[in-house]
Amino acid sequence: MSTPFATVLETLTRQRGVRASLVVSERDGVIVEASVRFGQDGDRIAALAASMYRKARLSARAARLGAVSFLQLDAERGRICAAGGGGDLVIVVVADPQANVGLIRMELLKALEGLPS
Amino acid sequence: MKIAAVESWVEQPLQSFVDDARVRIALLLHPSGQVVAQAGFTRRMDVMTACALAAASHATSRELGRYVDGKPFRGLHYAGPDKQLFLGTIDTRAGGFICLTVFDDESSLGLVRMYFEDFSRDLAAAAPAATETGTPVLAVDFEADLNKNLAMLFGRGGDVIIRNA
Repeated sequence: MSTPFATVLETLTRQRGVRASLVVSERDGVIVEASVRFGQDGDRIAALAASMYRKARLSARAARLGAVSFLQLDAERGRICAAGGGGDLVIVVVADPQANVGLIRMELLKALEGLPS
Repeated sequence: MKIAAVESWVEQPLQSFVDDARVRIALLLHPSGQVVAQAGFTRRMDVMTACALAAASHATSRELGRYVDGKPFRGLHYAGPDKQLFLGTIDTRAGGFICLTVFDDESSLGLVRMYFEDFSRDLAAAAPAATETGTPVLAVDFEADLNKNLAMLFGRGGDVIIRNA
């Protein structure tokens, strides 16, 4: 069964170096829709990325910095990018360390427009 | 949060699960309703009640799974307005266990499920052979065993022993 997010995720996953792209529920940390390459644990990514995004959003609010527009975590063997709209849904991308973050960020923010607010 | 356990081999895996998943309450029990370990409860009466309800809920969902899907359901999730509940089963060499977990906005269903998988694996690895974990539960011994386990968790004198760290 295809959801309205399938096209959005396909576009993101086509970017060079992207291993997985997911739409996740921030509150529950579970996958709504995912496009995941073989070997990636989608459930684990969704749970951790949603938790990280939620904490970042709450921290930004506590610091009176306003809403979080884009979140990026760089690690030794990969990077996680996340962006959320006004609602509960967050788009998460897992990419190689050498992937073009600028391009991913642009596509991610464009994809956000397709999410319900 | 401090763990109180009847069997010492469950302590470390349960402590890791509670710490990592940031749950408010965790209760490990035999499918019969006998408590094995707990974290977050302050009264033995609450543990007794939760054990009875969790065992009944597990039995119901297992049979419902068999009826609907041909095999027992292994997990149950309920989301309330403030708190959520996750009930899962774990198979080990020492037999099957039920784990009841209550969590709030500090955690999420995804995190609880993820760390529950790790917990299941760690518990299965730590479990001794069935013969080393005591005799199987018999209906005639149930009340005595239940009281013995609760006394080990809470002491005989009073109810309030375990507190959140």
